Amino acid sequence: MSETHDDLSIELKHLIIETLELEDVALGDIDPDAPLFGEGLGLDSIDALELGLALQKRFGIKLDAEAEETRRHFSSLNALKALVETRRVD
Amino acid sequence: MPFSLHLEDWRGWIADEEVHNPAPSHRISAQLGSTLPAMLRRRLDDAGRATCDILEALDPNADFPLVHASRHGDTTHTLEMLEALARGEPISPTRFSMSVHNAVLGVHSISRKHHRPMQALGACGDEFDAILHEAKGYLVEGHRAVVAVLSEAPLPSAYQGHTEHPGIACAVGIRLTLDRGRRLMASDPVGAAHPTPLEVMSWLNGDAPFLDGRHRWQLGAE
Repeated sequence: MSETHDDLSIELKHLIIETLELEDVALGDIDPDAPLFGEGLGLDSIDALELGLALQKRFGIKLDAEAEETRRHFSSLNALKALVETRRVD
Repeated sequence: MPFSLHLEDWRGWIADEEVHNPAPSHRISAQLGSTLPAMLRRRLDDAGRATCDILEALDPNADFPLVHASRHGDTTHTLEMLEALARGEPISPTRFSMSVHNAVLGVHSISRKHHRPMQALGACGDEFDAILHEAKGYLVEGHRAVVAVLSEAPLPSAYQGHTEHPGIACAVGIRLTLDRGRRLMASDPVGAAHPTPLEVMSWLNGDAPFLDGRHRWQLGAE
């Protein structure tokens, strides 16, 4: 659990909740290893586009919506965190 | 007379509880959007949530064709997108996906697994008469009832004074049949008017003896 309380994890949880207007979701509801899309948190394809835009605005990360690796980066909060740690340009 | 429509039931909502709300039997829950799953509810503003609640109250088993009319739609978010484009910024994919006039009906359809006909319309102020025309068509085709909602979201300040608007977010829904409920009677209006949801509610409440749209509408005895 401890690794989920670092600043970047919390920042990403805030980003997800605010960007996707998840008004009924609290920080603790986002399991860092659970799927963000479909099962788990239950986000949909529109959310994926919205999240991609937010990552671009906040961290300068540009993703190819069609690429298979994008699917992997969006598979969980921890996967997203790994992406931001390696690709952020801010 | 071209119409023989009947009003079986109705529901209304006004964003301000201090304003003359409908009688309790015609209100929806103050907890807006309580009929929607949270993941769908988040995509709608209050007028959209109220519209879905009214549709659910009047068509609880998803049996009837649905009509959603709004003169202006969600102008707040449409204007936000236009302003973002003017600044050269990318627009929100979510906002863009919800910027069509039938977005509220789409959300309702997913939420309630509604598979009957549904349509969204805007008619430059003639929405009430347009609703009745569409309802008549469905009823004559053999549907037992039609549920229609007329709603307006708040108008951004930039548009105020440039168009007719009720001045507050509001929505009213009616369930129409060919033979059950109070008969709707049409005559020629003294002057054609553009009834908003507020005026429709006042009339249904009994506060006004008739409603002027393209026709003058009156309700027969209960």
